[in-house]
Amino acid sequence: METFRKRLLEFLIPPETDHWLAILRVGLGLGVTIYSLSLRNDWAYLLSGTVRKVAEALLSLESHFVPRLGWFVASAAQLGIHEEAVLFLAWACLLAVGCGLVVGVASRFSAIAAWFLHLCAAKSGGFVSYGMDNFLTIGLFYLMLSPLPDRYSLDWRLRKSQPKNPQLLGFWRRVLQLHLSVIYFFSGLTKCLGPGWWNGSSVWRALIRPPFNIVDPEILVRWKYLFPVAGIFICLLEITYPFFIWNSNTRKIWLICICAMHVGIGVTMGMYLFALIMIVLNVAAFGPGCFAQRTKRSVYNRRELLPDVMSS
Amino acid sequence: MTVGAATILRQRYLHVAWLALHLLLIISFSCRETLRVVAEGPTILPFWFRNFSQKAQTVFSVALGQKLPASNPVREALNTYVNVAGIETGYGYFAPNVPSGYKLVFELHHPDGRVEYELPSVSSAAAGLRTASLLDSIGRTPYDALREILVKTLAQSVWREHPDLESLRAILGSIRLPTAREFKEGKRESYEFLYAYDFSLTNQPAKPHDR
Repeated sequence: METFRKRLLEFLIPPETDHWLAILRVGLGLGVTIYSLSLRNDWAYLLSGTVRKVAEALLSLESHFVPRLGWFVASAAQLGIHEEAVLFLAWACLLAVGCGLVVGVASRFSAIAAWFLHLCAAKSGGFVSYGMDNFLTIGLFYLMLSPLPDRYSLDWRLRKSQPKNPQLLGFWRRVLQLHLSVIYFFSGLTKCLGPGWWNGSSVWRALIRPPFNIVDPEILVRWKYLFPVAGIFICLLEITYPFFIWNSNTRKIWLICICAMHVGIGVTMGMYLFALIMIVLNVAAFGPGCFAQRTKRSVYNRRELLPDVMSS
Repeated sequence: MTVGAATILRQRYLHVAWLALHLLLIISFSCRETLRVVAEGPTILPFWFRNFSQKAQTVFSVALGQKLPASNPVREALNTYVNVAGIETGYGYFAPNVPSGYKLVFELHHPDGRVEYELPSVSSAAAGLRTASLLDSIGRTPYDALREILVKTLAQSVWREHPDLESLRAILGSIRLPTAREFKEGKRESYEFLYAYDFSLTNQPAKPHDR
């Protein structure tokens, strides 16, 4: 029992570098920045008025404590500040913290603010949200809880600030790895249940369905014999992800394939931001150590981090 | 064991306990969502499995506190946590089948008798993806009142751009996508009429027309 407990702890809280955290911080920072910039002209249109109020009312049926833009709009209204001004301020703050994450300025604060503001926008815009928002929330949630700053951030380099609990770097990476494994398993399982993914019709429908119809169907139809292969490949790639991504012999090929799949989704369906977020999550979780041989120097010394635990 | 080591060890156990709970929630919500799509069908599973899925989905909903009253503190706390962590949904995107989309067309009636047609427009592709989500919500909701409110909101923004309109009709249709074979034979996407709403300047409620 004691051995099992020890091995479980070693698996869940391994010694780890902060390379993955740097990838996650910069990648999600880029995601938040692009998210803000891509919606700059439509932000108020998508998040103001009745659509927001109805989405927030439905959210209140689930919980009154989930952050939403309505809190700020209602507070500002008492001060005579218009809804559009509040929404613009939220947008500007989100853009600023996104940039802050990219360069690593006030990393912890930026991560918390980015998570909070994006969550407010995603929940208040419940009718205009899609899968990308969900994954961005997941990524930012883990990022803000991880031991920031990492060694590539300006916080570390200029202000010499260091994380309080670097021994938890491995734990938070493990959380992300396990969560991604569950995500792909269920995504693959659900696809496998649909006949369309086996005969290729779902691939065809996904590619010609507005607004994802980026590629001319006249070109697509010439490749129709590849659709069943692509459909089965996607199903198998996703459902087997949790089994092959953990094996050091197959990790590299699964990581490349899953990233290639997301690049494909981004290019052929116009879901660039969704593709970016998924690639960032995958590369942060399984990338470091996958392509380069880890050196002893690059790994935190467990003895240095946990002297008491190791000596006892 | 020193006090420092004990503290670190306790901290580790706390983290592991949180992770166990967190993963349990992720898996439970994913299972519930998978069972929901199986229950709604169509899937490759036999028909009797749909009934089983429906019952199993209810069991998961009960276990996750989703059948408790909305004001129940346990349900509210759980819903708050899963929402802020982004784990409140499953991950069956475009699965088990790729659903049809919806199209909303505005028929603009000018005072001089002219009739123009307009689609909901946004200025970027990123916002276009979000408008498609909104149209999906409008098309799929079983609640007529909610559908009317959402259509009315979109109609209002069109009206703001054309303040001289006499009346405006919003027509919602579902998109029927051709198969690859049908496409090769010359068939293109078609639309099935679902609902139409008439809006005018008077403060009357919209007149819905069902299919």
